[in-house]
Parts: sequence; structure tokens; C-alpha cells
Amino acid sequence: MTVVLLACVLAADPVTDVAEAVGPKLVKLFGAGGFRGVSNYGVGILVSADGLVLTASGPMLDTPDLTAHLSDGQRLKGTLVASEPQLDVALVRLTAGDKPPQGLPFFDLTQAGPLAEPGDWVLGFGNMFEIAVRDEPLTVQHGVVAAVTKLSGRRGTFGYTFPGPVYVLDAITNNPGAAGGPLTDRTGRLLGLIGREVKNAQTETWVNYAIPLSATVAGPGGEINVVGFVAAATAGKYTPAAKPPATSGPAGYHGIVLVPDLLDRTPPYVDSVRPDSPAAKAGLKPDDLIAFVNGEGVATVRAFRQVLAAQPPGATVKLDIRRGGGLVTIELTLANPPSPVRGPKR
Amino acid sequence: MTSDFDRRRFLAFVPLVAAGRATGADVPPAVREAEARRVAVVAKVTPAVVAVCKPGGDASGSGVLIDPAGYALTNFHVTDDVGPVHTCGLPDGELYDSVLVGHDPVGDLALVKLLPKEPGKPFPFVPLGDSDAVKQGDWSLAMGNPFGVARDFTPSVTFGLISGTHRYQPPAGDGILEYTDCLQCDTSINPGNSGGPLFNLAGELVGINGRGQFDKRGRINSGAGFAISVNQCKHFLPHLRAGLLCDHASLGAGVETDAEGGNLARMLVRQILEDSDAYRRGLREGDRLVRFAGRPLTSVNHYKNVLGIHPAGWRLPLVYRRGTADTAILVRTQPTRSEAADDPGEQPKPPRPPKKGPKTDAPQAEPSPAAKLYEPKAGFANLHFNRLERDRLLASFRKLTGDPVGLAGPWTISGRVQLSDRKSPFSLTLADAADGTTEVKLARGTVTDTVQPLKPGQPLGELLQPTGSGGLLASLYLWRRLVALGEKGFESGFAHGGQEPFYPAGTPAPVAWCEVLRTKHAAFEAKWFFQPGNATLVGCEAVFAKDEDPCELVFADPKPVGDRTLPHRIEARSGDRRYAVLTVTAYKLGAT
Repeated sequence: MTVVLLACVLAADPVTDVAEAVGPKLVKLFGAGGFRGVSNYGVGILVSADGLVLTASGPMLDTPDLTAHLSDGQRLKGTLVASEPQLDVALVRLTAGDKPPQGLPFFDLTQAGPLAEPGDWVLGFGNMFEIAVRDEPLTVQHGVVAAVTKLSGRRGTFGYTFPGPVYVLDAITNNPGAAGGPLTDRTGRLLGLIGREVKNAQTETWVNYAIPLSATVAGPGGEINVVGFVAAATAGKYTPAAKPPATSGPAGYHGIVLVPDLLDRTPPYVDSVRPDSPAAKAGLKPDDLIAFVNGEGVATVRAFRQVLAAQPPGATVKLDIRRGGGLVTIELTLANPPSPVRGPKR
Repeated sequence: MTSDFDRRRFLAFVPLVAAGRATGADVPPAVREAEARRVAVVAKVTPAVVAVCKPGGDASGSGVLIDPAGYALTNFHVTDDVGPVHTCGLPDGELYDSVLVGHDPVGDLALVKLLPKEPGKPFPFVPLGDSDAVKQGDWSLAMGNPFGVARDFTPSVTFGLISGTHRYQPPAGDGILEYTDCLQCDTSINPGNSGGPLFNLAGELVGINGRGQFDKRGRINSGAGFAISVNQCKHFLPHLRAGLLCDHASLGAGVETDAEGGNLARMLVRQILEDSDAYRRGLREGDRLVRFAGRPLTSVNHYKNVLGIHPAGWRLPLVYRRGTADTAILVRTQPTRSEAADDPGEQPKPPRPPKKGPKTDAPQAEPSPAAKLYEPKAGFANLHFNRLERDRLLASFRKLTGDPVGLAGPWTISGRVQLSDRKSPFSLTLADAADGTTEVKLARGTVTDTVQPLKPGQPLGELLQPTGSGGLLASLYLWRRLVALGEKGFESGFAHGGQEPFYPAGTPAPVAWCEVLRTKHAAFEAKWFFQPGNATLVGCEAVFAKDEDPCELVFADPKPVGDRTLPHRIEARSGDRRYAVLTVTAYKLGAT
């Protein structure tokens, strides 16, 4: 069926036309972040002619310097109106000077298309890797809805919050800067919002997914979906759904004790290794200098801790160790943290 | 973050169960036709897809044949890996000896030449398309040898969307591998695809795949692949064919987006080098760039795109705004790489010996016949190919200007000269003294200017006579050397310089695309512009001092002089001014 649909698209709906129609309804967002794991760029969907923008919620929006670039290259100021952490969406208001912009093309959420089904052909739009700025068009990708299912995922050690079914995609859409971008059908009708970078909790592989426009979570005033959120937030009547339970899991246990972090840039030398710990079993030794974790350079004790904090129990990490004159590679599988050992009372 | 591909093999393969193929009669005819067309296109282009390999035949990257003589495009980072003398596999299953012809480290482009198994046997090749006609949302086919999977060199094909056009991706290391004005696709591109072709659905080459946006997923496709646009390749191809180490254009000015200027971006000149041509043409700090090489500028990416697709030295039209007035100028771009980088300090790598593999009983391979076609020299990728191009051009030029025998001895050229404010007959003589120096004398009415270009210690003003011409007499001296002596007249440099636009009127239009010869005699560097095809000399730019505008000569009205063809109209310009037009009525050359 997929093959047939794809070929139909080739014959009937040139993607060039759809891309041209969707592009002006999108904005590039630039905000806070830029450090590890938090992109300071993203994408938003215009949902009104006067500059209301739907996007993914997140720390990027948490700044007075939020900026949006329109498809014609205009640069406008953005202000966060409300965000809904469980649906993982937020609403931003754009202003030109102090006035709302006028006459922008937008997605009419009340006219949203029907749900997509597995096998349906879709397009994804986003600003992955900050490829586009100003009037440059956003990235467009094609794919197929592989499944509509609940996702058991995690982001680093943090749990993935949305409890309902999502569109699982066969396209590699979920990259940095892509969250909040539109997933459309082959004619450019909005189906949902592309999600974040999430790993499948079972397989440890990256998942590409989008949250359907009709997806609902329980709010204080009953169930709420993206359309309802936008309506309530626009009217100033939105109250956030109950915060999801803290699902941040503990980081995996390695058993490495590093030298005391006294300087700004203390190199991650191993001070000692806890007996019977994963590090001890893998053969780590005092005075080893940890140079890379999973191929990523860790110049300081702090950098090492940050990287390891995002690794859950069961994850295998590859350490490149400088020992003597040579470089040694050691793999260790993180364990569950041992029961806390009670220290002497102070 | 971003980086070019390297080669990595997967240790584990995931077995996939083949899904049943739809065979029903319910498939619409349009679908069958589209599929049949796609299959036919793949079949048509497949024979021209190259697996670029190390000398022993180990796959490294991909490439694509673009002409029957065996020239193939690939990435610089691929040829850098396999070395200048290497091998290339074709889908016919054969491994061909192959040699580096030209390369462009900044643009990540290289041209190689495969040697036919039988002399003169043509290779299959693909036509070059127009990447500026490619639109976001178009379909594309990427072909090549990802992960080195094809041991028999049958290329893989992947199919996907053009995700974006005119993309800018910053250099990946040491200022090289900068992808400007490139195509972005969701067509799967993986290590080993590097250098391979990106086709449109008509089977025309629209890009050279070379880079992916790799982040935390490892060195595999992450949904964003990048291909060097074929239109950029076209700009550089004549340079590559001429065995050059290519360099990219720079304006000599720093340009930034104006942060304060309202909602729309404005590109402002933040600083400018005073010895740049842009400065001499009038561009100043604070000016706003409006258009460059015919494109509107609305972001730094656009600006870098324009620079990146053009070879250094090309003159490009630029429109700038000061106040409310727009000014259109022609700017000579300058090199990006420091000249020191091209000097002997950076020696080209000698051909690498084949890597020693596990011991076998196989006899030692004979040296590749391609090694005879490789000649390293600083500033060139392969001097051998520069010689070929240069000698071909010179031979065509000689067909017009005739045997140099008979051109020795004094030249006298006479006719009428038109200056800005007067007209008079002229007589130009170029005569050699016993010590080997030459005297050039231009007599018009009561005025006579005399220049001895090689006279030691003369002030610049004396050399550049007549005043305001930028060095007309010295330029004509160089021209006589080119016609009468050829290579022997330019002891310090005589090389093919690829292709450049030439502006006969000194304005952005008309433009003539010319083959270029670069010469150096004493300290005088000159570029000679030839009409492609028949090698008619149409112009020259001679530089007598780095900080001064060159003297430009425009040769026109070629007519027979005995059995030679020589120009009968020579226009001299310097800076933005026309100095004179010489209309020739008689040539008296040498002893004849």
C-alpha cells in the first residue's frame, strides 16, 4: 500500500507545491540554550494571522530575547504565552515593534485533518541542526507513519512524559531543532507536532515520532488537547495540567571516584575505584585519565559527571583512558545504584 | 557535530524479512509508469557511477563519470584518502587505474581520470543538470557505494526528497570542506557515498554527495545529507581539468548582518582591506550590499554562498547602497588561501604506496600506468594535466597567430588612436636592444611615450606610461612576447588558469566565458583571455604593482595579416576608465 501511495504522490501532488505552501506558515525560533543537550534554536507553527505560534515547550522559550524569523526574512520578537508540559507544547506571541503582526499565513487548527494511519505518507518540517536562518526555507522530509502507538522512551535519564499514542515515523525527523515542527499529510494538512530526541527505553535506539494534534491529556478542567490548549491559552484561560510525576530516573552506577574537583578545569583523573563496582570489573585503575566517553571528549571532572548523569542503569559506556603513555579503551555496563551507605552523622 | 564521512564498516547486520510485493491489478497505470520511469533512469545512469578505491582496490568513496574520456567527479576528502594514483571500480565489475587531475579542498571537490582498458575506448557518462532549477520538495536519487558494500562495484541507489536548496554549511576543519550553496536531501547518504552523484528524476547530475549532518547518532545518515551543487562544479570544472589546486573567492571585506536595522536583514560592510579591488572600486565600510553575482543578499549565508561557488580571481558584479543610491560595480575577487599555503612549505603528497595488507603469495603488483600521468607541484593538484590544457590552448592560438619564426625583430603597428578628448594617427614600435631588453614607443601627433619594461630601478610612473593607461606600453610588450615567444617569453610562470568571465565592455554585461592563461615575466603577472573553441585572444589583464589597478586590453576585430590573424582594434582600460582605442591599419612584423 505504501508503495502505491508514494507513487501516487509522485504523480499527483508535487511536494514542491506543498513545501511552498507550508513554508510561509512556519517560523524559526531562537532563544535560550546552546549548551549541552539544550538547543537554542527551534521551529514554530503560525496558528493565527496575528502571530500566535505553536511550538514545543522547553527551556529555549524561557528568555526575554526570544526571536522568530519569518519565511520572508522578517525578524520579530516572541513572548511565551503558556506552555503545557505533558503535551509538550507551548504558545508564543510574536510582535513587530509593540504591535501584533498582520495578515500572516497560518494553519487553522479548527480545520485540522483526520488522524493518520499506519502506512500513510507524511511530510515533516523543522529547523534541524539550525540549517536555516532568516528567509531560508526550513528542512522538509518525507516518510511514512510506521505505527500509532504509545511510546516507552526516555531523554537522557529523564522519562518521556506524553502518555498517549504517538505517530512513529520511518523518517529521521527528530533531530535538534526539529521539535514542534509540523507533521503534515501529503497535501500539507497538519497532522501533529514533531517530538523531541527520545530513545526507546527498551532498545536504546532513537525514536522518530510526532504528537497527534488530537492527543489529549488530563487537565484540571477535564481532558485537553493541542487545539484546546491553543484556544484556552489565547483566551488567557489556560491552567496547566497537573505536572507529570517526576520520572527522572537515577543515573547508572559506575563506581569511579575522581580526584577532588578543586579547579575550574580539573581533569578527570581516577582517584580510586569502588570494589566490585562496574568500573572495578572493567579494570579501571587509579591515575587513569578519562579522555572520552562514548567518543565525546570530557576535559573536566564536571564534563565527565554531566555525561554520566545522562546514562541510566544498564547502559554500556565506552571510556577511552589515557594510561601511562597509551590510550586504552574500556567498556563498562552501568549498574543500579547500591543501597545508600549511611555515613557517620555530622 | 558536522564532519565529513569516513569509512566504517558495520560489524552487525540486521536481517530483514522481505515483505511481499504487491502484484495486484489494482495498481493505477500512472503509478506503474512512474515506477517504470524511475527504474529506467536508474538503469541508464548506473554504468557511470564510480567506486573510488585505494591502489589495491579497497573501496573508499564514490564518484561519477562526466565525459567519455574518463573524467569523473568526486570529493576532495575521497581523493585525499586514496591518494593521487589510485583505482576506480565501475559497475561493469572492472577496476580501472585512475589519477587525480584537479582538486578543490575548500569546496571538497576533485576530478580524477580513469584510464580505459583499450586506448580510446569511451566511458559511459551522465549529463550535467542545472542545480539552480532544483526545488525544495523535488525527488532525487543518490548513488554510490555506502559502507563499501558492493564488492563488484554495483552501486546502491537511495531515493528521497530535496529538503532544501542553497544551503550553507561551514567548513568542517582547517578552513576546508566548506559546503556553500549546496543541496540538502533526506535521501539516505552514508559513509562511502562521498563523492557520488545526486540525480534528478531525469537522470541528470545535480549534485555531488559529500556530507551529512552527524550528531549523536554516530556516523550514519541522520536525515540531512548535503550535496555540492553541480552548478558550483561547473564553475570549477575547467580549473580542475587544468590540474589546478583551486581556491575560492574572497571579497577582501568583512560583511555582517545589521542587528539594529529593523525587521529585515541588511548586509553591511564592517571592514574592508584597502588593497582590495572592492575598495578601489569604491566600496567602503558601512555600505550595504544589495546584490552579489546577480543574487539578492539577505543573510550572511547568502553572502558566503556567492563567494563559495566562485573561484578566486573571478570578477563578479556587485550592487551596493549608500544612502539611497545604488551603485553597480565589477569586483575582482581575491584568494582565500594565503599564498604561503601554496608555496613550497605545503608539499603535495607523493603517491602513497599501497597499504601493506596481510601477507599473500600474490606477486608484487606492477606500478600503476596512471603514475606516469601524475606530476606534483606546489599550487597544482597535478601539473601534467595543466600542461595538457595549456599546450592544447597554445596550439590553437598558434593556428591563428602563425609560426613564431618570422616574428623576431622589430614590430611596427600603425593606425589611429582615439583618446578621451582627441584622435590622431599613431605609430607603435617594439624593438629589441642588443642586451635583450625591449623598447616600446608610441608616437601620436607630437607626443611620444617610450617605455623600457625591464629597465632596472625605474619609478612605477615611468613603467606605466602613458599616464592614466595603467601600463599600456608594458602590456603591449607582454602581448608581443606571448605571440612571438609563447612559453619562452614567460620564464617565471606559464600555466593554464581554467575558466573566467571576461567583460569586454568593462560592465557586468556583456560577459564572455573565456579560457585563461596565466603568465609571469619578470615581476609582471598577466591573465590572457581566450575565446573557448577557437582560442581567439580577446583580452588581457596585466598587473604591474599589487596595489594598482591592472591594465586591461580588449582585443577585437581579428583580421588576416598575411597568413596570421591579428586584432585590429585594441582597447586599453584601467580602473573604471577607458584610456584609448587603437585602430590598427597596418602591421609590420619582424623581418617580413
